[in-house]
Amino acid sequence: MSVAADVAVPGAPRLTVGAQAALITALVGALCLALEPMAPWLGAWPKTWVLPMTDWVGTGVSWLLDWIKPVARLFSDIMVYPMGWANTVLNATPWPMVIGLVTALGWYLGGLSMAALAFVGLGLVLASGYWHEGMNTLALVAVSVPLALVVGGGIGILANEVPRLKGAVQAVLDVMQTVPTFAYLTPLLLLFGFGPVVGLIASAIYAAPPMARNVMLGLERVEAEIKEAAIMSGGTRFQQLFQVEIPSASKQIMVGFNQCLMAALSMVIIAAVIGGFNDIGWEVLLTMRKAQFGPSLLAGMVIVIFAVVIDRMSAVLATERKRYDLRVVWAVLAFAVAFTVLFWSSLPGASEVAMLDGVAESVDRGLTRFTQTNGVALEALKNNTLYYVLLPLRIGLDQAVLPFTWGFMWTPAMSAWVFGLGAGLGLLLAWRGNLTGGIVTMILFGMIETGVTNLPWPFVLTGAAALGYVAGGRRLAILVVVLLGTILLSGLWDRALLSLYLCGASVFACAVVGGAIGVASAIWTPVWRVVRPICDMLQTIPLFVFLIPVLMLFQIGEFSAFLAICAYAVVPMIRYTRHGLVDTPEEMMEAAISSGATDWQILRDVRAPYAAPTILLGLNQTILYAFSMLVIAALIGTTGLGQSIYLALGQADVGLGISAGAAMAILALIADRLVQGFAEERRKALGL
Amino acid sequence: MSTSDTPAIACRNLWQVFGPSADKALTEALARSGGDTNAAAADLRALGYIPAVQDASFEVREGELFVIMGLSGSGKSTLVRCISQLLPGTGGEIRIDGENVVGASKQKLTELRRRKLGMVFQHFGLFPHMTVAENVAYPLKVQGVGRKERRARAQEVISLVGLDGREESFPRQLSGGQRQRVGIARSLAVNPDIWFLDEPFSALDPLIRRQLQDEFLRIQGSLRKSIVFITHDIAEALKLADRIAIMRDGKIVQIGTPTEIVLQPVDDYVREFSKDVAKGRHARVASVMQAGDGTRGPDDPGLTTSMTLDAALARCMELYQPVPVRDASGAIVGTVNPSDLAAALQVDDA
Ligand SMILES: Nc1ncnc2c1ncn2[C@@H]1O[C@H](COP(=O)(O)OP(=O)(O)OP(=O)(O)O)[C@@H](O)[C@H]1O
Ligand SMILES: [Mg+2]
Repeated sequence: MSVAADVAVPGAPRLTVGAQAALITALVGALCLALEPMAPWLGAWPKTWVLPMTDWVGTGVSWLLDWIKPVARLFSDIMVYPMGWANTVLNATPWPMVIGLVTALGWYLGGLSMAALAFVGLGLVLASGYWHEGMNTLALVAVSVPLALVVGGGIGILANEVPRLKGAVQAVLDVMQTVPTFAYLTPLLLLFGFGPVVGLIASAIYAAPPMARNVMLGLERVEAEIKEAAIMSGGTRFQQLFQVEIPSASKQIMVGFNQCLMAALSMVIIAAVIGGFNDIGWEVLLTMRKAQFGPSLLAGMVIVIFAVVIDRMSAVLATERKRYDLRVVWAVLAFAVAFTVLFWSSLPGASEVAMLDGVAESVDRGLTRFTQTNGVALEALKNNTLYYVLLPLRIGLDQAVLPFTWGFMWTPAMSAWVFGLGAGLGLLLAWRGNLTGGIVTMILFGMIETGVTNLPWPFVLTGAAALGYVAGGRRLAILVVVLLGTILLSGLWDRALLSLYLCGASVFACAVVGGAIGVASAIWTPVWRVVRPICDMLQTIPLFVFLIPVLMLFQIGEFSAFLAICAYAVVPMIRYTRHGLVDTPEEMMEAAISSGATDWQILRDVRAPYAAPTILLGLNQTILYAFSMLVIAALIGTTGLGQSIYLALGQADVGLGISAGAAMAILALIADRLVQGFAEERRKALGL
Repeated sequence: MSTSDTPAIACRNLWQVFGPSADKALTEALARSGGDTNAAAADLRALGYIPAVQDASFEVREGELFVIMGLSGSGKSTLVRCISQLLPGTGGEIRIDGENVVGASKQKLTELRRRKLGMVFQHFGLFPHMTVAENVAYPLKVQGVGRKERRARAQEVISLVGLDGREESFPRQLSGGQRQRVGIARSLAVNPDIWFLDEPFSALDPLIRRQLQDEFLRIQGSLRKSIVFITHDIAEALKLADRIAIMRDGKIVQIGTPTEIVLQPVDDYVREFSKDVAKGRHARVASVMQAGDGTRGPDDPGLTTSMTLDAALARCMELYQPVPVRDASGAIVGTVNPSDLAAALQVDDA
């Protein structure tokens, strides 16, 4: 398999690298299937070959954790104070004052619309009756964000000042981005013990990387001449950095601040699964467990409101900001104070307002009625998807097709038919000149027949290596094999395949649905006008909240998880597809139009190829999103690595938690590299 | 320690090579070529290094306006960045007012920049988050000059470049020409002895450029600084320079006064630059004169060796009587004075 083979050899049919890779993969797969009855070790990795890596990791990390535990506990003891203060301040401040302050801030940052958003938002929070829970959550965010800013900013500046560290820092940040959120929690739990400090530290750790990344990026992008002008002005390095470079990079740093806030909020809410802090995330979890969907929706709404208000307000900082009349700020504040003082005695406690309880109850009742009356339809939707799509994909047609679901029994003859159909289609494609496509079609048919979780491991390794080789050459192929090999040896292979299957199914659905919506949005502006705010919203909502509606309608189970993942991961696919298509250079479009191409021809022949790299990047984002949601979805019943991570958290099993987290990160990393490789290749092919 | 005959800037065998461990590569290349700098540079290029400045030696005298000229990518900016030590330099010696600056400590360089050096950048390099006044006052701020004093001095230079009234604007609110004035004002804030200007006017349209050139000459007329001025525009160089250095692929190929550059180019590269120059304005009679007192006609318009060709031509023409001018049919419709002809051909922006 050498690149030189890409050149046609006289006399031999022309085999591209892609075709060769596909051919080898197909052969290995066929061989495995044929030999499996005689050599079962080809199918499932034998238990005896598994190294007790999970235990090693557990022992090693526990030892390390024990070692730093005293420092951690000390830190945790110290952090109790600022957390207590933040808590007291936020909870003890009369609610009209808090609302007034945030409204005034909204005005200062973004004028009337922002002030209105803040006022209505917090008003709803008050009305929901979850004021104190909400303030508890905000208190955590308020302490963790400064921590993340200092640490992230410090790391970013350090990497900027010591260029030798840059590569290493970048690599660590990349890995941190792929490690699932829950995986942080187990070791932290051991270090800090149960309690809100774990959530605090976890969210600081989770929120620091975006800050570091943006600081690095911002400082790097400061024009060389601006930096030089600071040097020539005779500034010391300290003056150059703090008086010129950082202020010049402020836009990018503010983007980091925004992302940092959102990450912290998201993680604080996820960390609520540890419990013990009576915050809003905990409330959602509790009500969900009790199947009280009305209150659960209310609590979810509070989270969404926080997310939207915090996001929109901090996003303004990264843009060219208008100045708004300061007198309004003072007026709002004065009004808030006056209101508080005047109605001091008759001011209801924040949690007693609870005006929406009635709404919650009726929503609850309405929902129950809805699920009862439409139960059959919902159930049918769920079961059909499960039996006819998800299950075959997971365990293969030969096992999924059963009399009580499909109405008949699968026979070896049918397997032969499927293989025959695949081969026929493949040959047809190959005959039409698309050899690679033909072989890939055959492989896909084989995979549907076998099921993702039953794929023989040599086939998976070969296939991944082949993809790696085509996407990024020998180095990527080796990296992929080594990483996957680690999972094999660790004994997490089965679970990894389960995760891969669910993730793959969701990504596929997202690619189809998201791609279609993206194309529609690119062609018809009205569609985009509707889709865009929905996308904005979906991207602002913390992961956790996605679970509420799917759980309400479809109960715990794989289908709910699948839906939650899709709802979250579809957004980048839509955005990037549209962006790629809309972004076609005007000249290219004009050239096509003047050649007399129809709209459809332009879309197919000009816009789509040009957009391909961008769409691939969208797919990449979708995959990463799907992986991060996969872990959260473990809360509502998925199997695989996500479940392991979640279980490990409950049992405080660091070894399993970290290993499963690492396996998840490995899968995400591989997917990321492969898709990036293909995108890069497309870009090069287009000369971009 | 600087006496009046110490040059403001003196560079000797200055190199700037880009690439991994360039110092070592340069030493080895020089050793291999036995000191032949051209061979060493070719050697370095073959190895993938970029010798952006190659064995440059020159002096800038006190109060002199020294112009560096060359095509894009010839190493002009790099040379100036070496002198101001924004780049470390790979080999050679740089003296500013007699003091060696290569390898000087950070503090010393900072001190030098605070007191002696000012620099104007090709793309302005203004601080986007500071107003005009703050930009201009920044070099004073880093030295710890008090707010009031800073403000006053900034106002002074802002007036000098004609930006009164725009003190509170931000760079993004200014036009290109105004931005460059801010850059100039900022570089003058500490009243430096040595002034570097890197293509300060090339991003501007011709009218504004000429206007700023004239202002620049006016400012220099009163300040008398030692100046290194970069341009790739021969007209600008000839208009401003006391002496010109011409660079090509990192090498200084010729240093001379504007007349020398125009009339005695050392090679085709330099000749190419001055091809379109109105020679009459820069060349002197001496350059076209045949020596000796050989044969000559009766006329003597009173030429001297130091006269420009334009002036000499006008003098010669004055000897003629007005001559007739005809229309298309051959009828005489007027007269023209030959000296008017000569005058009309002169370019009058000198
Ligand atoms: N930091 C650097 N790293 C590598 N190569 C550089 C660097 N800076 C400049 N060069 C190279 O050195 C050469 C000279 O560049 P320089 O900027 O000095 O040219 P210039 O004469 O100022 O051109 P211009 O008129 O376009 O400003 C160019 O080939 C450039 O690519
Ligand atoms: Mg330059």
